[in-house]
Amino acid sequence: MASSASRATVAVHPYRDEGPEMTGAELMAANPYRPWPARITSITELTATEKLFEFRLVDEKIREAFCHAPGQFVELSLFGVGEAPISISSSPTKRGFIELCVRRAGRFTERLHQMQCGEIVGIRGPFGRGFPIEAMRGHDVLLVAGGLGIAPLRSLINNIHDERSEFGKVTIIYGSRNPQEVMFRHQFEMWRHRKDFDLYLTVDHADETWDGEEGLVTKPFEHLQIDAANTFGALCGPPVMYRFVVAEMRKKNIPYDRIYMSFERHMKCGVGKCGHCQVGHQYCCIDGPVFNYWEAKNIQGSM
Amino acid sequence: MLYRVIDRADLPSLVAAFMERYEVVAPVRRGSFYAFEAIGDFSEIALDYPTTIASPKKYFLPATETLFEFDARENAVTDYVDEVRPRVLFGVHACDINGIMNLNSVFNDPRYPDPYYRAHQDATLIVGVSCTPGDTCFCHLMDSEEARPGYDLFLNAIGEAFLVSIGSVTAANILEGACDVREATDADRAAFRAATRARQEAFNGAIPDVQEIPMLMDAFHEDGFWDELGGRCLSCNACASVCPTCYCFDIRDTLDPGAETGRRERVWDACTSPQFAMVAGGHNFRSTAAERVRHRMYHKLNGFLATHDRSLCVGCGRCAAACKVGISPIEVLKFFERKGADDGE
Amino acid sequence: MSENTATVGEARAPRVVLVGLASCFGCQINITNIERHLLAVLGQIELGYWQLTSSEPMPEAFDVAVIEGAVTTEEAAETVRALRERAACVIAIGSCAATGGIPAMAAGDLASHVEAVYGDGLPKACGVLRAPAPVSAVIDVDFTVSCCPIDPFEFVRVLDAALYGSNRLDVTATLCGQCAQGEGGCLYKRGQMCLGLVTRAGCGAKCPGLGRACNGCAGLSPDANVTAARAFAASRGFAPGRFDEALEMFNAVALAPAGEE
Repeated sequence: MASSASRATVAVHPYRDEGPEMTGAELMAANPYRPWPARITSITELTATEKLFEFRLVDEKIREAFCHAPGQFVELSLFGVGEAPISISSSPTKRGFIELCVRRAGRFTERLHQMQCGEIVGIRGPFGRGFPIEAMRGHDVLLVAGGLGIAPLRSLINNIHDERSEFGKVTIIYGSRNPQEVMFRHQFEMWRHRKDFDLYLTVDHADETWDGEEGLVTKPFEHLQIDAANTFGALCGPPVMYRFVVAEMRKKNIPYDRIYMSFERHMKCGVGKCGHCQVGHQYCCIDGPVFNYWEAKNIQGSM
Repeated sequence: MLYRVIDRADLPSLVAAFMERYEVVAPVRRGSFYAFEAIGDFSEIALDYPTTIASPKKYFLPATETLFEFDARENAVTDYVDEVRPRVLFGVHACDINGIMNLNSVFNDPRYPDPYYRAHQDATLIVGVSCTPGDTCFCHLMDSEEARPGYDLFLNAIGEAFLVSIGSVTAANILEGACDVREATDADRAAFRAATRARQEAFNGAIPDVQEIPMLMDAFHEDGFWDELGGRCLSCNACASVCPTCYCFDIRDTLDPGAETGRRERVWDACTSPQFAMVAGGHNFRSTAAERVRHRMYHKLNGFLATHDRSLCVGCGRCAAACKVGISPIEVLKFFERKGADDGE
Repeated sequence: MSENTATVGEARAPRVVLVGLASCFGCQINITNIERHLLAVLGQIELGYWQLTSSEPMPEAFDVAVIEGAVTTEEAAETVRALRERAACVIAIGSCAATGGIPAMAAGDLASHVEAVYGDGLPKACGVLRAPAPVSAVIDVDFTVSCCPIDPFEFVRVLDAALYGSNRLDVTATLCGQCAQGEGGCLYKRGQMCLGLVTRAGCGAKCPGLGRACNGCAGLSPDANVTAARAFAASRGFAPGRFDEALEMFNAVALAPAGEE
């Protein structure tokens, strides 16, 4: 209902310092569809099809206001090409930069993969509900990633790493199809010798370069010792993986509401409107993408 | 709520008063159908319209709306200001007002208020009008036969007069300036009661009143009924186009010729679109028409209720008229009714 | 559809060729109808060859091949194969290239059509005839601009997508939804048989908006439910045979496999 006949307007201005009165958070909230310029500061080739991009938001106010939780995502814009939701791979403990791990899988990511350091993209976010890192503190954590699922989970893993003393026993299981597809292999191979992480790298199909386990991501569960009452599970991977990994976690008696999983859907708007990421009555973009197993069981069509 | 009575003969001057400051949009006749359109004169309005082909949601969420413009060479947004036209929606039925209320709760969600929707909403006055239900109307089963909040004026027809519910100061001022406004009498009140009762009795009795719809939607989630509906769905999205509460959209970039500049737009989309739930890499979470039809009905009759405590479907019946193959919430209600009868035997 | 886009980010403007096969050339002409924007469009590319306007031979190297028309001869099939080999990206424009279009109406019984037109003496200039087919029946096509004729702005949009990339998906929903947005009322209620029931949306439902039934020129949607559409048309008094016959005008090739079953 209108209070007067005055013309209403919606304005989107290119970023300029809009006066000291607006904080970065207020600027971002004023229009959640408006992407902010971000510069590519580093590109690392992870595999034949995946690259890790590091971005720095150009404007200081926005950069300082940007803080995320592990498991959240951003909407990345290449103007003219479109926009895509991409989960954040960097830890919240690393401020000032945003790392996104991107698989070349379509026209948008193809274009992104052609870009060079120094080029500008648009970023808005972070969006969504991430992993409950605060609740996890003081507990054991069992992290399971399959394939590209390592991208969002790496944010949580690195967060735990940076604040290692605040967590109990940390177990990481990371499964890939073959050794060539193992991402962050260097980092993980170094961690295999650490005492404060129980790390299991598995591949479905090993070759001569592989000295880790061969088998599905569920295989390491055979010999896992878990203090179920004190453990949080977190998993992320292709849809087919969830059922099996959740079943393993339940077998170990991790409570329903302590098993957290990240859903992959196409979050187009990121702000709970456009409907593309709807699963049952929930929106992955604002209610998720991280749900616990109890919630997931109560979402029609989620598993 | 404040109530006053005006005569039907006062309507032209009321509309003229609105037209001084607003674009007036009202139901007009188009051949054998009706549609909401901007009008130039009161005489164009078909206030006794049964229903329109499509809902007035287009005035809050246009089918295509520019979010901003950009410079593709710089990869940056450019200065963009969208002016929204002050408008009066005149002659809106209660179901549609409830539909707009549902849209309000999505787009004004305090977590992410939508500035574009809000601008339309802030620039729009709503004048409701009472109606007589047609064959496909079932607003009474969706708790939408009355508009409680959500309007600036609501015209309840009582013979040759209207008992007007007044919802806003702006509208009250315009009403009082344009019409000969009087207090309601006992006779007016009795006429109002008679009118609401007549409306109540006019609903199509063949549309079953089913209790516990959300629970039933869950309970029969795996029923073969959905395959039946999916088997005949044309995947055309006509249901979503005419629906007052389908608000899903796609976001896409369009370059200007020459490709140096362009716009980001949101465009109506629908969960019945075959690729709606497809993710990067090609996996489609609802790859069959049965899953898509079921999801649409689920959201209309159950899912929205779980998060907003209201049925998203307002029972306007437009989808039942628009669907060529007889898919609508009415069919779902009849299915639940049949299930009850089967078990009873 | 493959993920090919033309080379982007290189200093040289992308080289584009426009080739016409069996068609009326109306789609190529329609491109010239955007006078106001034509220079802006051409300014971003190096137009190596445009059959409608060039007398120069086709260049050896190019990035994007735009093809209008159906493949109706072995020579044409050879031409499109050669285009595919050289081009990073192939765009099929118009119904003839996208679905086989009008030429493909002859696909079912080519011999009798040839005889009816030429008698015994097929002129040499006709080449070696083959059953008319869409370009995609011979080579992989990266982008398609449908309709008869094409909307030139849609062509420009698709060309941009080919040059710069776009994450927009091809529409596969059928037309009635877009038509309903126009609020003109269903043509079946006015006693007309309309093919919007099964035709790919994206054209904006211009024809039904003007009171003319959809003739299916945008092509049968891959998600079309032809069985349910036939049944609906029959319920409105249009026998399935009539519906199918109308659909064949632009979709003879798409319908053929279903007919053989």
